[in-house]
Amino acid sequence: MSFSYLFGAVMVMAAVTLLLRAFPFLLFGGRKPPEIVLYFGRVVSPGAIAMLVVYCFNAVTPGAYPFAIPELLASALVVGLHLKLRNPLLSIVTGTVFYMILVQFVFA
Amino acid sequence: MTGTVFKAAFVATLPVLAGYSAMGCAFGILLDANAGLGAGWSFLMSLTILSGSLQFAAVEILNAGFPFYKVALLTFFINIRYAMYGFALIERFRGKGWKKLYMIFALTDETYALQVENKAPDPKDSTDYCFAVALLNQCYWIFGCLLGSVAGKWMDFNKKGIDFAMTALFLVILTDQCREKQNRLPSLIGGAATLLCRIVFGPDRMLIPAMLLMLTGFLLLRRRLDIEPEEVR
Repeated sequence: MSFSYLFGAVMVMAAVTLLLRAFPFLLFGGRKPPEIVLYFGRVVSPGAIAMLVVYCFNAVTPGAYPFAIPELLASALVVGLHLKLRNPLLSIVTGTVFYMILVQFVFA
Repeated sequence: MTGTVFKAAFVATLPVLAGYSAMGCAFGILLDANAGLGAGWSFLMSLTILSGSLQFAAVEILNAGFPFYKVALLTFFINIRYAMYGFALIERFRGKGWKKLYMIFALTDETYALQVENKAPDPKDSTDYCFAVALLNQCYWIFGCLLGSVAGKWMDFNKKGIDFAMTALFLVILTDQCREKQNRLPSLIGGAATLLCRIVFGPDRMLIPAMLLMLTGFLLLRRRLDIEPEEVR
């Protein structure tokens, strides 16, 4: 990718993120926004995160070796650990190391 | 700002120091391994974007070279939760000049949590305390990202599979959100809409239809989904 593309893309991400952060202050100046806006705010966030989880599995091939087994095992480990211990960092690092071992050694 | 306020903020942010250094480090390594971008980009992103979930996704976004409108859309969906945080902080941030502007810019999940908790030694120091929390957290994040970029160049190990860190990050956020009942059905709709669009449109064209389908679902099912949260977070 060219420098100008990379720089432009980073600036787009920074600008949209800033607009989202400033949204309540900009648009409503502290007043309560319409119900529908609050409703979308409440439901879009969990929906979008679930969307991204599915999107992360884009490259997975359930029909061919290794049949998504490393992804399923590592995901189960992450969710299981996080449900039990509630330590984000521990869940992420353990799950990632486990996944790396699986794809590099077990299902190599 | 007095030393006491700064010290209180520093103590409160220590867990974030641990978390951000490690997550930032993972990001720096990933950015180097998967997108071939070094410390300069890592610094620029942690300085201007300051969002773990987006920066992890950005590795993929920059690598794929998505057009800018798609970059904007993805950013919007990944970070829309920030738009809700401000509502809880409007009272605290009211009319506070350049410090307020910085605090709005630097609002992350962890910073938000600490600012809502607000352990300022004296209530009148709240602004300074919240400002110090935001500033310290961004410093930790920049430090972590740079550390990862430098370490990524150095460490010579097989990095295959390290991109799972992003999946794991989103899984952790999803798990936390689903602890609250009212988030479960929206998550299910978002996940199902994406899966359906992946099957129908294929992995390269799925995102925009998935977003539209999800939003339509939310609009149609409002009666069912619109439950006030048990407590305002």
